[in-house]
Amino acid sequence: MDKIELHNTLPCVFEGRDVQSEVWLHDVTFQKGETYLVEANSGTGKSSLCSYIIGYRKDYLGNILFDDKDIRQHRVSDWTSIRQHSLSLLFQELRLFPELSALENVQIKNGLTNHKSLKEIEEWFQRLGIADKMSAKVGRMSFGQQQRVAMIRALVQPFDFLMVDEPISHLDDVNSAIMCDIMMEEAHRQGAGVIVTSIGKHMDMSYDKTFRL
Amino acid sequence: MMSLVWKLLRQHISIAQFAGFFFANLFGMFIVLLGLQFYNDVKPLFSQEDGFLKPEYLIVSKRISGMSVLGAGESCGFSEKDVNDITSQPFCKSVGAFTASQYRVVCSLGVNGVAQMGTDMFFESVPDRYVDTDLSKWKFNPEEGVVPIVLPRTYLAIYNFGFAQSQSLPKISEGLVGMIDMVVVLRGNGQEQHLQGKVIGFSSRLNTILVPESFIKWSNAKFAPEADLTPNRLIVEVKNPTDDAIVKYINQHNLELENDKLDAGKATYFLRVVTVLVMCIGMLISILSFYILMLSIYLLVQKNTEKLRNLLLIGYSPVRVSLPYQLLTVGMNAVVLLLSFIILYMVRGYYMNTLWAMFPQMQDGSLLPAFCLGFCLFAVVSIINILAVRNRVMKIWNRKE
Repeated sequence: MDKIELHNTLPCVFEGRDVQSEVWLHDVTFQKGETYLVEANSGTGKSSLCSYIIGYRKDYLGNILFDDKDIRQHRVSDWTSIRQHSLSLLFQELRLFPELSALENVQIKNGLTNHKSLKEIEEWFQRLGIADKMSAKVGRMSFGQQQRVAMIRALVQPFDFLMVDEPISHLDDVNSAIMCDIMMEEAHRQGAGVIVTSIGKHMDMSYDKTFRL
Repeated sequence: MMSLVWKLLRQHISIAQFAGFFFANLFGMFIVLLGLQFYNDVKPLFSQEDGFLKPEYLIVSKRISGMSVLGAGESCGFSEKDVNDITSQPFCKSVGAFTASQYRVVCSLGVNGVAQMGTDMFFESVPDRYVDTDLSKWKFNPEEGVVPIVLPRTYLAIYNFGFAQSQSLPKISEGLVGMIDMVVVLRGNGQEQHLQGKVIGFSSRLNTILVPESFIKWSNAKFAPEADLTPNRLIVEVKNPTDDAIVKYINQHNLELENDKLDAGKATYFLRVVTVLVMCIGMLISILSFYILMLSIYLLVQKNTEKLRNLLLIGYSPVRVSLPYQLLTVGMNAVVLLLSFIILYMVRGYYMNTLWAMFPQMQDGSLLPAFCLGFCLFAVVSIINILAVRNRVMKIWNRKE
């Protein structure tokens, strides 16, 4: 997948409102290999955007296209394949499994494609400073620790685009920097596009383009 | 990895609910299968074909009244006029007379050379064309001295239950009639002759000891040359045995029909009714248990909706996410099926032993129909389970849950 396009897209709930946005009701293109920042205030539809692109929700007007194909036409099997091989999303609400350990949460995703070895995964845990929490149940971890687990989980798959929805909201600057490094290393290795969203604090790095949502 | 998914999705499984389904379904399935199996095993006992008399042959006798016992009523034999009257009826094709032996017969019955039962007897014959058997066996030759005999089936029961049981002798099935030795002593007209009897079969419709016509002719001529040969019973070939006119005529002329077919028919009917009833109850239990299973599955999916949704969002296909629950239900159904078969096999072994003791001639039926039915039920229930789980997961996918 080389590009994601939004044509006149607008969440249904915003219909009829005076929307001031560089994304909604505009033609926006995200290219593979580029890095984007989508800055937003609360309630401007940031998580909705992520949900539309991952195929979770369809309550929008206009069109979203992956490589010129309208994603409304994607079937169940297309979405499964996209989520496994082309598009990875770090959810704002993380969507981890509290019953499983941190490592198991990563393995349950890695098992789909066996993209990363256990050694690589352990190394990431190490670098993010949560190596001692690998076998701890996610439900017992702090949100900041969970965010790091969710980031690792988002990286253990092949992808053309990586979307991270407020990835560092509960992290200190040091850990944010480490997470940013790991993320960009993996994105460069895969030649992928990265879309970061933020409602204030955002990853400190160079972006090819910034949109105001 | 599947084990991780299972570790997630087995959360909220209620052992009590599944155990409830399991035993209820086992019970229901077993009752359904047992009903069918028992019906199949027992049915042949009621619908046994009589090899010696076709269904369109009726046996007619005069009703015996109190007066005829005292010798003051009409004769219980059929006169020539009576016979002609029956022959002229529209329902009648032909009429044959039973001819009885008019001399003294003593017969001893034994198994494998040991004489066991001896009694005074009589013989009767009908014209050979009414006997539906291999006519080459149905012949008497005075020089060979072997008399082919057809016994009423009740005699076999008398021997097997009354006699063999109390004397610890082997029981005889119909297939083993060759084992029966019969010595026949004929006395009359100042003569005595020993002959060998050979039982060639049993009839449930003939309440007599049937021998070939040629034998009766020969023996009556030899041992009772002057006897009166008025027949007591007639064999009537009719066009349609269910014709109402027959019953009407029989009643009008104070005759009696020897017809045990009717009783067997009634018994089969009641057997069928009871079987259907039992199977319905079993089916009802099965359906209710199936309902419990569906509710449990729905509840389980409901409770694990968030987990299922997250799995779908990180790239699991609906097929893969449905699989653990589908395997769980199909696996349980399979275990229920297997256990039902095992219990059925054991229970059947038990009742078949009892039935064999009562009816040694019974053939060992097959378990195949019950197997097929069980497998069909399993398949139908499993397919519905698989579709229901899939349907629930797709609802989550489409955000309708």
